[in-house]
Amino acid sequence: MINKILYLILVSVFFSTAYSDSYVKARDTLIWDSENKNYTANGDVEFKNEKFVAYSDKMIANYIEEDDKEVFTVVELFENVVIEFRDEIFKGNHAIYTKDNNIIILTGDVSIQSPTRLLTGYELIADIDNNKRILNSADKDSLVEVLLENDKNN
Amino acid sequence: MINVSNKIIINTLVVFLFGVQFFIYIFNQRPLSNNFIQKKITVENFSSIVLSKSGITKIGSEKLNKIDDDNIYLEGISFLENREYKIYGKNILIKLKEEISNSNKPVKVINSMGTLKANGFENLDYEGIIIFKGEVEFLIDQ
Repeated sequence: MINKILYLILVSVFFSTAYSDSYVKARDTLIWDSENKNYTANGDVEFKNEKFVAYSDKMIANYIEEDDKEVFTVVELFENVVIEFRDEIFKGNHAIYTKDNNIIILTGDVSIQSPTRLLTGYELIADIDNNKRILNSADKDSLVEVLLENDKNN
Repeated sequence: MINVSNKIIINTLVVFLFGVQFFIYIFNQRPLSNNFIQKKITVENFSSIVLSKSGITKIGSEKLNKIDDDNIYLEGISFLENREYKIYGKNILIKLKEEISNSNKPVKVINSMGTLKANGFENLDYEGIIIFKGEVEFLIDQ
């Protein structure tokens, strides 16, 4: 009986950590600057919110205070950026996510990978709410605009 | 003749004594008005408040060691609480003058965004910056 209770406690603790909706993890440091209202994470950064999971070497997240709660508004990712959104993987050297419009802009050796395609370019604009991807090359000569099929979950 | 000689000797002696007194008066240090206490003060199960730039911070620990007038060492399980955060850790050094506190022991922090765990911290209170060190995990409340 005691073993079962201990097992349930351990399982609940594990799931509360592993499946928390939003988190920031960093290997080296996390700096909270309450004067400038931002958090800076360094070293193998992992950021998860209700939309996507992102990995990078460094992250700066700006926040505002709403109803006595801090809310991230703009999240900026630097170096070796990988963003997993549903069955897509975005890669780039730099990314900036704006919560207000749910748009991610990636730049520098960008790629977008899904089960059926792999596209590369210099800049990717991923409009999450409208399920739209715009991929630009460095010289802007070529441009690929993809409007994904709206699935039932969107 | 002898009287004149005695007078000269006495006068010389008096002048010499005045001179000695004058030197003593000039070079003598004033008595110290402050008492310098180097005693280390230790209090167990201590809690108090500290005023800093971020406002009132409540501090507490299993054992408080007052190193000197500007430095306090919170030994054992300790905490810092103010309107912005609650920091729970161990062995926290507080530099009152510089408004800095730090620890190299695991720390748990609760603020208005969520709960954070790290392997240590440095709180630069005068700048409003807290640096969390080591593996950091920040679970954000929904």
